[in-house]
Amino acid sequence: MITFKLNGKTVQGEEGQYILQVAQKYGVDIPTLCHHKALEPAGMCRLCTVEVFDGRRSRFVTSCNYPIWEGMDVKTDSDAVHQGRKLIVELLMARCPDVPIIKDLAKKYDIPETRFRKEDDDCILCGLCTRICAKMGNSAISLTGRGVDMKVDTPFHIQTDVCMACGACASVCPTGHITLEKIRNSVTTKNFKPIPSEYDMGLKSRKPVYVPYAQAVPNTPAIDRSVCMHFKTGGCQVCTEFCGVNAIDHTMQDEVVELNVGSIILSPGYQPFDPSKFDSYGYAKHPNVITAMEMERILSASGPTQGHLVRLSDHKEPKKIAWFQCVGSRDMNKCDHAYCSSVCCMYAIKEAVIAKEHSGSDLDCAVFYMDMRTHGKDFERFYNTAKDKHGVRFIRSRVHTIEPVPGTDDLSIRYITESGESVTETFDQIVLSVGMEISPEVLEMAKNLNIELTPGNFCQTTSFEPVTTSRPGIYVCGAFQGPKDIPQSVIDSSAAAAAAGEILSSARNTLTKAREEIPEINVNGERPRIGVFVCRCGINIAGVVNVPSVAEYAATLPYVEYATDNLYTCSQDTQENLVSIIKQKNLNRIVVAACTPKTHEPLFQETITNAGLNKYLFEMANIRNHDSWVHKNNPEMATQKAKDLVRSAVAKVALTQPLSEAELQIKPSALVVGGGISGMAAAQSLAQQGYETHIIEKSSQLGGQARNLYHTAKGEDVQEKLSEMIQDIQKNERIHVHLEADLIQVDGFVGSFKSTLNAHGKEEVLEHGVAVIATGAAPLAPSEYAYGKDARILTSLELDRRFMNDDPSLKTLQSAVFIQCVGSREPERPYCSRVCCTHSIENALELKRRNPDMNIYILYRDIRSYGEREYLYKEAREKGVIFIRFSVDDKPRVSVDNGRLTVRITDHILGRPLELETDLVSLATAIVPNRDEKLANFFKVPLNADGFFVERHAKLGPSEFATDGVFLCGMAHYPKPIDESIVQGKAAASRAVTLLARENIHTSGTIAEVVPANCSSCGICVSVCPYSAPSFIEETARFNPGKAQINPVLCKGCGLCVASCRSGAIRLKGFDNDQIFAQIYALNA
Amino acid sequence: MAEFEPKIVSFLCNWCSYGAADLAGVGRMEYPPNIRVIRIPCTGRMSPKFFLSALAEGADAVWVSG
Amino acid sequence: MNLMEHMGIEPGRLQFSWISSAESTKFVEVVKDVTSSVKALGPNTTYKKQAVKVA
Repeated sequence: MITFKLNGKTVQGEEGQYILQVAQKYGVDIPTLCHHKALEPAGMCRLCTVEVFDGRRSRFVTSCNYPIWEGMDVKTDSDAVHQGRKLIVELLMARCPDVPIIKDLAKKYDIPETRFRKEDDDCILCGLCTRICAKMGNSAISLTGRGVDMKVDTPFHIQTDVCMACGACASVCPTGHITLEKIRNSVTTKNFKPIPSEYDMGLKSRKPVYVPYAQAVPNTPAIDRSVCMHFKTGGCQVCTEFCGVNAIDHTMQDEVVELNVGSIILSPGYQPFDPSKFDSYGYAKHPNVITAMEMERILSASGPTQGHLVRLSDHKEPKKIAWFQCVGSRDMNKCDHAYCSSVCCMYAIKEAVIAKEHSGSDLDCAVFYMDMRTHGKDFERFYNTAKDKHGVRFIRSRVHTIEPVPGTDDLSIRYITESGESVTETFDQIVLSVGMEISPEVLEMAKNLNIELTPGNFCQTTSFEPVTTSRPGIYVCGAFQGPKDIPQSVIDSSAAAAAAGEILSSARNTLTKAREEIPEINVNGERPRIGVFVCRCGINIAGVVNVPSVAEYAATLPYVEYATDNLYTCSQDTQENLVSIIKQKNLNRIVVAACTPKTHEPLFQETITNAGLNKYLFEMANIRNHDSWVHKNNPEMATQKAKDLVRSAVAKVALTQPLSEAELQIKPSALVVGGGISGMAAAQSLAQQGYETHIIEKSSQLGGQARNLYHTAKGEDVQEKLSEMIQDIQKNERIHVHLEADLIQVDGFVGSFKSTLNAHGKEEVLEHGVAVIATGAAPLAPSEYAYGKDARILTSLELDRRFMNDDPSLKTLQSAVFIQCVGSREPERPYCSRVCCTHSIENALELKRRNPDMNIYILYRDIRSYGEREYLYKEAREKGVIFIRFSVDDKPRVSVDNGRLTVRITDHILGRPLELETDLVSLATAIVPNRDEKLANFFKVPLNADGFFVERHAKLGPSEFATDGVFLCGMAHYPKPIDESIVQGKAAASRAVTLLARENIHTSGTIAEVVPANCSSCGICVSVCPYSAPSFIEETARFNPGKAQINPVLCKGCGLCVASCRSGAIRLKGFDNDQIFAQIYALNA
Repeated sequence: MAEFEPKIVSFLCNWCSYGAADLAGVGRMEYPPNIRVIRIPCTGRMSPKFFLSALAEGADAVWVSG
Repeated sequence: MNLMEHMGIEPGRLQFSWISSAESTKFVEVVKDVTSSVKALGPNTTYKKQAVKVA
């Protein structure tokens, strides 16, 4: 250690360090233009001149390359130093009068005009570029020429392939003399282009060291070896100089890791279809023809344009945008993808609506489509709103060609409207709604794993085992199983986890390790002794906020015993250090001023529990996400804000009390309400994973609606599989079936429900830890199309029944008409029943199989044979089934007249009325939910306007409720075919097992609590709570009868009851009134 | 005279606006440094007492965001 | 709101908004709006607790 004086203050540095390095460490600002942390100093710009006094005389030296020595006395801000620097700036100003950084310096040193002869240069010959180029291991450029002719150049002033076009020189140049343009035009002969960001679909560039996207897990940067200079030349490694914790190791090698596992789940996903092979759309040629994935990035706030909607050619705001559907889907001619990608209709509508929200209502959005497929939950409503409220135009037409409009960046298309008119229209931007395809890498993987694929290259599965591949022990989920959207993928993934859990249940908990329990120190009654740890987060915080001054300030606040700053408070070594400081200083409250509590509070709470402190004696001040990251151009106010936030956190933490978390045992058993196919699948999975399961079914037999179905879309015999499933359930010792049973009461909550059921007039109480709602739905009894007037007019299920009975009369029929959307997509039932299109097509094909000469007509609004069900639609057309479209305001009319059964409809192509005489009419009736309000009340779960149950989250929590311990599957959630019902049954079981397997759960400590003495028993808390946590204590109770109490298990700590309590009788632990007031006072101090 | 820099006491819901503020940070979006955030578990926790007290203590405004 | 006017607070000093956790752009917009509208109102003097005067 070398000790010396810096501006009169005693400082210390390491042997061999230069003055500038030590000064920077102590926060003393010395101006410099040619210094770079990773490069040897050169003393070229002379701006870092300081005065060194050696005991006898003063000398001026460049601080960047003058080594420190014991006892020296350095002055960085004396008048002489200032005068010297001023002269240097004046000289630089004469050489480079127009360079912004020099102009700023001139302003700072108060030089209005240079006294020297002005030149017109922008290079100060600092040599940073040549030094960094040498560091890169290239040395393609150097300072050439002498004296006044000196300049940065390549040898002999010729373009060279020694330059690897890495751009390092441009990135360090302080004056902007070296630009990427210059490198391309006069330095390198190599292909020079930015590295495209994969996440931003190449619309933005990224660095060789990068985090793929802001939410990436793990959120640590990676080095892209294919572009990193170190892996090309052996040089660079500049990043290691900047990493404060020495985390970068360029010698790391790929490792082959062998894992011993009992099961494999494949979730490789899909790749968006690449439309560049479609010449007629000119995706590769026209910048304003983009894919929907690129549109997603453009609309995203974190995207290349920060969510500002512009077109790519000229960054102008588009006035008219068109979406083309089915690009790379439902297309055998150009891309061999016969399937429907399932998601594109909905995402196109979503993009159009968001685009309109971003750009205002004058933006014209037009979606060109073949069939609008909004078959998901609440999707049809979204479609209607887009049409009626947002004014998105939907045009049923497949456009063939996109032509550029000469002299502009606009695009012209020609299309035929439904009425047969040819229209030419110009758009600013065209979005191709690209479909899904399985990537070659995944195909290779499938081959190596020896699993079977479908014609569309998706993973082959069956309707009754929808996540099981052809190879035992290997399961599949997500888009590799078939094209699907987020909710369906999430359901799949839970189901695949359940499938793996079923075969591995005996191994559960064999590899878990118990955590060491550290006894909690009792801090009750102690005066607060607060420790404040201010994080630099590398340069993330310290680059803007003056961290040492915040820590110094924190130390002056009331009750603060200790305050310091850390480089990375979340790093392993700092955590250990934190524990030892807490013990050493006997701290009893901790504040960490760092990033956001939403990500890091649990980590720090764990750390303080390791020091014996209750985890609630903790508070965070968010000085990164809410401060340094968003106020980087205002360091002074950012530092002030950081101090305010720390003061507020200290004021709050001083008032925190240790909170306890109740432990709750989970009863290892489940109740499944509903014995249909989805409920049975859930019960099977739960039982196979080791849990006692009760099924209650209101009818006299298991099977639900599946009992009425003939074949699945894949052609499997439903009754055969169903009876196998029922037998399996009856044989299973862990499954207890209660038929003709009704739930009459439900008490309790997650972990310990008590349900009373009535079966054959006998009451029975079941205790269970979780519940699965699988109450299904029913077919609509139609009131239109002359149903019930003639035996030849059937519903789809009645036709299935005749297939099952192998009715011989079906063979003799000459003609059949199917009518779609009977009761679905109507004002009183504004949802799509999802299964009917495929069902009718499958039945039409079945009739054709029995009598190939039969004339079959399917009257439809949109054919929604999503995913690989599309093949059936194609097959039906090939076999001669005739599809005729109708609109909801001109529905077909069925009449029975003297034994003649006729259907009248307006043909959409000819525009003329048609009369079809037929032997059979099959009505695709809507699926109607049971709207079971009693059950909803029992389990405190919501129903939507249509009468389906509302899941926790439409995308991310489709198989569970917001109420803990209650799960959802099958048609009680939304209409769905057998494979999707089974998959969701398994998914609900999977979600339930995540609770059951824990055996016990801890409630949160930050929950509401009633002070009974203040409670007036008004009941407002009971009525406002969305989680049903408050209740009245029974009138017969010994203590506090009639007062309110809050169930700590159900309370989510939202504070609604606290704010609404008129008597002030409820407090929210961890967010108590006095704590919030303390924060308010502290912020206004 | 320096420009008036108001002090705005902000009550942000942990699950909504607080998350949006975090995300704004992740996106390095810049905004005026006048807000001072108090994290609350839900806007349901908000009581008129809080904003009245903040204004009485000298805050120039109170912003509640769910 | 009536309560506020009754107590002599300008309504602009209390602002509400609803922002989902994914809407960072909206968050920034609202912060900017709130800040500029409060700047336009000027410092809060009417409702501020007066410093205790020592007689």
